Amino acid sequence: MADRPSQFSFPPGTELVFGPQAQRRTRIDAALAAVIHGWGFDEIILPGFDSEQTFAGIDGLYGLVDREGNNLVLRADFTLLASKALAMELRREPRQIRATYEGRVYRFQPTGHGHRVEQTQRGLEWVNARGPVYDAACLMMARECLRACGINDAVIVVGHAGFVNAVLGEAGRAERRLLEALDHKNPSRIKVVAERIGLPQENIGLLETLPLLTGGHEVLRHAASLATTEPARRALADLEAIHRLVSECGGNDLLFDLGEVRQFDYYSGAMFKVYAPGVGEELGGGGRYDRLYDQFGLDIAAVGFGFNIARLAEAAPRDADMENQRQAVDAASPGALKAALAQRASGAGVAITGGA
Amino acid sequence: MLRMALPTGRVLKEAQRVLVAAGLEPAEDLFATRKLTVASRCGRVEYLLVKPVDAPLYVEQGVAECGISGKDTLMELGSDLLEPLDLGFARCRMVVAGKARLERKGDNLLSPVRIASKYPRVATNYFRKKGIPATVFKLSGSVEIGAVLGLSHYIVDIVETGTTLRENGLVVIEEIADCSARLVVNRAAYYARLPEVRALLQDLARATGATP
Repeated sequence: MADRPSQFSFPPGTELVFGPQAQRRTRIDAALAAVIHGWGFDEIILPGFDSEQTFAGIDGLYGLVDREGNNLVLRADFTLLASKALAMELRREPRQIRATYEGRVYRFQPTGHGHRVEQTQRGLEWVNARGPVYDAACLMMARECLRACGINDAVIVVGHAGFVNAVLGEAGRAERRLLEALDHKNPSRIKVVAERIGLPQENIGLLETLPLLTGGHEVLRHAASLATTEPARRALADLEAIHRLVSECGGNDLLFDLGEVRQFDYYSGAMFKVYAPGVGEELGGGGRYDRLYDQFGLDIAAVGFGFNIARLAEAAPRDADMENQRQAVDAASPGALKAALAQRASGAGVAITGGA
Repeated sequence: MLRMALPTGRVLKEAQRVLVAAGLEPAEDLFATRKLTVASRCGRVEYLLVKPVDAPLYVEQGVAECGISGKDTLMELGSDLLEPLDLGFARCRMVVAGKARLERKGDNLLSPVRIASKYPRVATNYFRKKGIPATVFKLSGSVEIGAVLGLSHYIVDIVETGTTLRENGLVVIEEIADCSARLVVNRAAYYARLPEVRALLQDLARATGATP
């Protein structure tokens, strides 16, 4: 049969990794898992697909239909899936849950931009975690995860959903074009859209300033001088408390970005993203979502974060790689299997090759 | 040193003028050199000379920390970039244009309207948002002919003065967006290189008279 080129190709956006690169990914995941287990988290294995309503509000879902005609979608987000899984458990017995997961999520990405549809993540859910100490702990854990991968030049950027919400108000929050302009940090566009939808003049001034509220701790003070509403002040006080806790532990390298709107779907408080020079997209991120369990009739405060394993592998220094050491044993040589077993018994790596 | 993707072509001349005014003068004449990268005299920036349509991709992928790109190109590519500064030059409008009195003779009026454009994504999104069924053709140039000779009912294109449209008996039917050259910044680089990016933004804002 003649080869068809298409016989060997996979759809765009799929992941196919083999050899040293795949091993690197496995090691990165193992390093993260070791840190997260060290903080008292247990593994959770979650479904790979679920009904569409679990992922309501997420763009680019991959759908499938089972044999009974039910519409299902591939896992597009871990936190939404975990909240549903844990809600059942929490209704039975209210308690703190610390869970860590690893696996792939699937979201459609337009072709031509080099984005992957399949993404492998390692992350955690910390449920019944009220108070800034948990936010600060997440930031310290994220930093430890990065160190465990040998990544020392990453920046952690902290924003706050409560602050952005307060500045936007009801009208602003509902306006997709305004959120887009904020997301692109495009002040002229922010002004145009905010005026067109008739936001109050003092809000427009503050909205235009949002893209500039990025930087070190001084940003919080600057924002405090501009914020007039009670919810905005509360959000800033929250960030101050987190900053204080993290600073006391020697983590004085946080960046703040009060104009961050991207993550904002289910986040209700502090939220963060991790970036590394030379990697175009974020390595990971997380934050606080205290209203996520409302839909299950539960009033539960929770935090969590996740890392993208492929991007961590891109950011991690190359010298951390080691080829797997293995002794070759010729399959055709007499006693090949015995020789291989002897190698294994001594704890060495082995590879039976050739022959056949 | 920050790497900046610069589009060759019609935007480059103005871009070079703004860079000089911002104190970021290229060490070589960007039009004379055959090199693909040129440093600035001050050593803060390295320019990467690329096709206009490719500039956003270099920035999105993080090969360049920032770049200059026309809004029309950004809209068409839909790149995920920060767009913190409107540089103000290369101004034009993205419009729907066509014959002033369009006769869709023999057409079922419910059948899709036919659109020719160099910007198929922009055109498709625009008509989808308006809820008008549209069939979009991608052309690479002389889009006006599409509407004049009946390949399409309308065209979606950028207009500067409108002379080309007028000479071909076409008029602007609707405006889609105001376009101009923008400074775009990679999301990761914005945070990881914040002081350098800030300084660049301020210098360029000063040179163009915009507020950063």
